[in-house]
Amino acid sequence: MDPIVANLDFLIGGYATTLKLSAGAMALALAIGVLVASVRVWGGRIGSAAGGAYVEFFRNTPLLVQLFFYAVLFAPANLGLSRDPVVVALVGLSVYTGAYVTEVIRSGILSVDQRQSEAARSLGLSQVQTLRRVVLPQAFRTVIPPLGNLSIALVKNTAVASAIGALELLQAGSIVSSRTFRLEPLAGVVVAYLSITIPLAILTGHLERRLRFAR
Amino acid sequence: MTALAMARRETPGILRVLIAGVVLVGLIVLLVGAGVLPARGWGRFTDPATWRFLAQGLAVTALIGGVALVASLALSVPLALGRIGLGTPLRVPLALWIEGVRATPVLAILFIVFFGFPRLGVGLTGIQAAMIGLTVYTSAVLAEIVRAGVLSIPKGEVEAARSLGLSYAVTMRRVVLPQAVSRMAPAIVSQLITLVKDTSLASIIAVQELVGSGRVLFNFYGNPIETLFVIACIYFVICYSLSRLSRRLEARRPAVERLVVIGEEDQVAPAV
Repeated sequence: MDPIVANLDFLIGGYATTLKLSAGAMALALAIGVLVASVRVWGGRIGSAAGGAYVEFFRNTPLLVQLFFYAVLFAPANLGLSRDPVVVALVGLSVYTGAYVTEVIRSGILSVDQRQSEAARSLGLSQVQTLRRVVLPQAFRTVIPPLGNLSIALVKNTAVASAIGALELLQAGSIVSSRTFRLEPLAGVVVAYLSITIPLAILTGHLERRLRFAR
Repeated sequence: MTALAMARRETPGILRVLIAGVVLVGLIVLLVGAGVLPARGWGRFTDPATWRFLAQGLAVTALIGGVALVASLALSVPLALGRIGLGTPLRVPLALWIEGVRATPVLAILFIVFFGFPRLGVGLTGIQAAMIGLTVYTSAVLAEIVRAGVLSIPKGEVEAARSLGLSYAVTMRRVVLPQAVSRMAPAIVSQLITLVKDTSLASIIAVQELVGSGRVLFNFYGNPIETLFVIACIYFVICYSLSRLSRRLEARRPAVERLVVIGEEDQVAPAV
């Protein structure tokens, strides 16, 4: 335990970065997801195909390759983009997870029976009102459990950020581990990841059961 | 017709891929034109030697992925049946193992295997460590898929088989698993996508698989953006084909039979 105790501040710093990275990327991924899903559903053929290309391309290539890509892309100083690896990782994780969120939200929107919006429209509600009062509240239910799942996957994926030098939990753990020639820091890192992912898994399972009954 | 109805109407698959391809190529041309993507580094990809080098990397990727897949499939059935287990003492430890492994980042597992085994006096090459690490992770996820598949078969079938005098093993082999397999197939293929993408993590522990050889290549030629893009396209061709296959398998089955495994991004993908 000594190497962990001796470097506790350093490891906690990494843990905090992982938490921030996960929360920030999830928020951005949600924004991307809502935007692209809307384009996919209401954007006509070209919009739908362009959104589909984004979803399929980013889902079907490794996150690591995407992160390397951004790291190189952001590197030239003349572009004025941030070269902080944590920021690069935030962008990469958001765009990657956003592709999955898009599909979840799109299927959420499509899961609401089309006749409901037709009924709402013929009752005199505007397009926006229909969306806000009728479609989205029902889509919300379908969407929550898969989003919980994606957030678990996202927390695990933040570990890949260590490959581009972001000082998150795994990176902090392996630095301490190689400095002290001990394995305990890496084991500690795993426990720290479990302290995030397992509560999320329990919460997701709980929500899934509740929302299923509420239907 | 409302916009929603239009979105629901299927655009033919080939047309969709075509439009997507045009959009993608247009995007690249646009980015090259705007000076974001460099124009000069593409010439290296007219040289067959470049492709031969990448093919060697791809072969290592296939080797790691293939071994991990076969080993994980073999391990997943005993893991799952042990976890379902009828009062076996292994039930709780297996459940803890499976849940723990699934909640851990793959890269952390690779690091522990790569740095941990030498401590136990077992020297490992990077390739071996990647195979073991990916097997540990994937077998745990596949075990959950197998478990969900087995539990989705109505209990009455097991009871009927048992009361006809079939042993537990024969009931599993002849009655439950054959039915469960076709339910599990889409989820297993989806997990294969994750596995293929995760083999790229082996490059971090110094394995020269596809990404590793790509890095050697672009450090030599100085064209990282072009090389990474080509590599991404190679992964895309493999993973997109797998996702089409998964969707096709899924489409044949009623929606209620869909197996749900928590915490895996490629399992979340709905078949809309």
